[in-house]
Amino acid sequence: MIFDFVKRSLSSPQVLVSVEELIANSQGSRLPTVRAEALTATIARRAAESCVLSALEIGEADGRMTLSLDYGKCTGCGDCIEAGEGAFRIAESVPCGVGRQALVRHWDVEHGTEILADEPELTATANEIRSVVGGALNIRQLDGGSCNGCEAEIGALSNPYYDLERFGIHFVASPKHADMLLVTGPITINMAEAVKRTYEATPSPKLVVAVGACGCSGGIFATSPAVSGCVDAMIPVDAYIPGCPPTPAMLLTGILQALRRR
Amino acid sequence: MTTNLTTRSMEGTAESALRLLQSGRLVTIFGSTDQSGAKRVQYIVDVNREYRCISVPITGALPSATLVSPAAAWHERELHELYGIEIEGHPDPRPLFAHPADYRFLQVQGVGVCELPVGPVHAGIIEPGHFRFSVMGDSVLHLELRLFYTHKGTEKLFEGAPILNAPVLAESVSGDNCFAHAVAYSQSVENAFGISVPPRGRAIRLLGLELERMIAHIGDVGALCGDVGCAVPAAYNSRIKESLLQASARYFGTRYWRGIATPGGVRRDISAEDAHQFGKVVAHATADFAEMARLILDTPSVQNRFEETGVLSNKIARDLGAVGPVARSSGVRLDVRRDHPYGHYRNITVEVPHFPQGDVLARARMRIEETRVSARLIQETLSGLSAGIIRTPVPLEGSAEGFSAVESPRGELLYWTRIVNGRVARCHIKSPSFQNWPCLPHAVEGNITADFPLINKSFNLSYSGCDR
Repeated sequence: MIFDFVKRSLSSPQVLVSVEELIANSQGSRLPTVRAEALTATIARRAAESCVLSALEIGEADGRMTLSLDYGKCTGCGDCIEAGEGAFRIAESVPCGVGRQALVRHWDVEHGTEILADEPELTATANEIRSVVGGALNIRQLDGGSCNGCEAEIGALSNPYYDLERFGIHFVASPKHADMLLVTGPITINMAEAVKRTYEATPSPKLVVAVGACGCSGGIFATSPAVSGCVDAMIPVDAYIPGCPPTPAMLLTGILQALRRR
Repeated sequence: MTTNLTTRSMEGTAESALRLLQSGRLVTIFGSTDQSGAKRVQYIVDVNREYRCISVPITGALPSATLVSPAAAWHERELHELYGIEIEGHPDPRPLFAHPADYRFLQVQGVGVCELPVGPVHAGIIEPGHFRFSVMGDSVLHLELRLFYTHKGTEKLFEGAPILNAPVLAESVSGDNCFAHAVAYSQSVENAFGISVPPRGRAIRLLGLELERMIAHIGDVGALCGDVGCAVPAAYNSRIKESLLQASARYFGTRYWRGIATPGGVRRDISAEDAHQFGKVVAHATADFAEMARLILDTPSVQNRFEETGVLSNKIARDLGAVGPVARSSGVRLDVRRDHPYGHYRNITVEVPHFPQGDVLARARMRIEETRVSARLIQETLSGLSAGIIRTPVPLEGSAEGFSAVESPRGELLYWTRIVNGRVARCHIKSPSFQNWPCLPHAVEGNITADFPLINKSFNLSYSGCDR
């Protein structure tokens, strides 16, 4: 019987997605981006009003109106695209595996240009882990009360399309074996203690990557009385991966980016 | 014709609610506060394929329905804990949602009995929950569940949300069944206002619902193989599942169908060419999975591990009001698509497979059969896709209440929504996992501890859907 499986498996075409196609590809995540040249003050205001989670916000810099988009809050609901008269579209690529501030992009509404920030430095922990583990990385996934959408996509990383193991990365059962904690969910009151204890059980040096809109900002659950505060209010977080949920390509980009291996 | 439409519930007494419970299958019990601030409890019961709803005004304590219908046990604990309603004579009044340090687990006593605590953080990419096993040697004498670690107060968050903004919340009740949740919520709003979705919108919803079922079931069958050390089919099924997710992203812009369902219809159309291509991917995945499933069921080591493992008897499934593939694998023949047809299911006939054995094998075969049925429904719907609009406007200032049930991949999923001036005033979610979790310990009893992951997987219940 086992030979029938192997025969069938070997006779099927290769489906492995190349690294080039995966890195910095956010297709299927529905997260938006701004077409800066089509942006007007009216459209920016209307889009910001349509954004239930305040991921889009109007601000001011040097006396000029700015629009900011916080991917750490955005669920990709599409309301800004519907309200934005062509000034918003689905993004091909969004920042993944970066610091919290780097998840926020800013546009100068009057000039129709993006205000770019400097690339942040590699964190000390990432450097340390890199020197200790070389090419391999052990990840412990930790669910702090997610809706299981992120888990479904994290699980997909092991399928033959993404094959996380080709990078020397694999998921381990115990935090004691882990170099990285991949934390999802808004951290419910009932999970707060378990999240802290899992962090403590993970040996140093360790990286913590917060995943999904809930992991980055609490997402749609940020204001719930049953939630105790998002991941970085509980434990130190090194990098963030946005999305609701992030696609496997975004997760992979984020994990590699957190280690600066790409 | 049975319909899924009810907007008003009958006023009744606690006694009439108990009588109703004895005459049918409990669907849900929930509390709400009306505009004057008065508390009421509503019972929804399925009597001969018709949903009956009784609304009981609360003045004092309620007599417990659990001794009449054991399926009510968790519902009443929720009523007490989240709505402050006294339940008289409940056999197990311990808290479900709150996790006090002095919580008392049921202790099995005797020489050689060991307690085995597992979780809330599990060894794998799984949601959190706590299992307390009482074991004697390898055998499980008793399993106690301690869930609600992922309780996020979701029902409360609905309150005050404009009706068109709430699908985002419904999609995050149980992420892997997000489309079923968004459709159930949307239908509850449509039923409240008596709105019907255009035929093309209904058909696109069916495509999403059946695709979601295929994705869930193909993944589950693969994961079951993984749990018995059969790695090749486990990997192969994850590949078939991924091909469907990628087709979703390509032709509908979303892997898990988020952002598509909305009250009044759907937000995304599909071109004729894309529909054709999508149909080809589904056909290929269907054939691939059918062949793989045949090989899996023919494998002696799989048969050996699946057969007679984790039996859920027909009586317990009925007593506890089990739903979905779990119920149908224990010989309980119910399926919302057939019994209470909604949307495009009113125009078609749904074949409902069932198995009497109640073991892991029955639940695996159930998923294989249902994948076949879903694939056929998708192809039929694609070939008969009518032209036209996909969405109809809903009143944005109106007030009404309504409910709707959907057969999600895990079973009967019900949303009850009250709308006041265009905003959700109360939304109750009865997820299939809430009803099915209490069945699991009965299926595990007497099995060896090492088979627990396999039995648990064969139920594949959602923690977040249950905990909300």
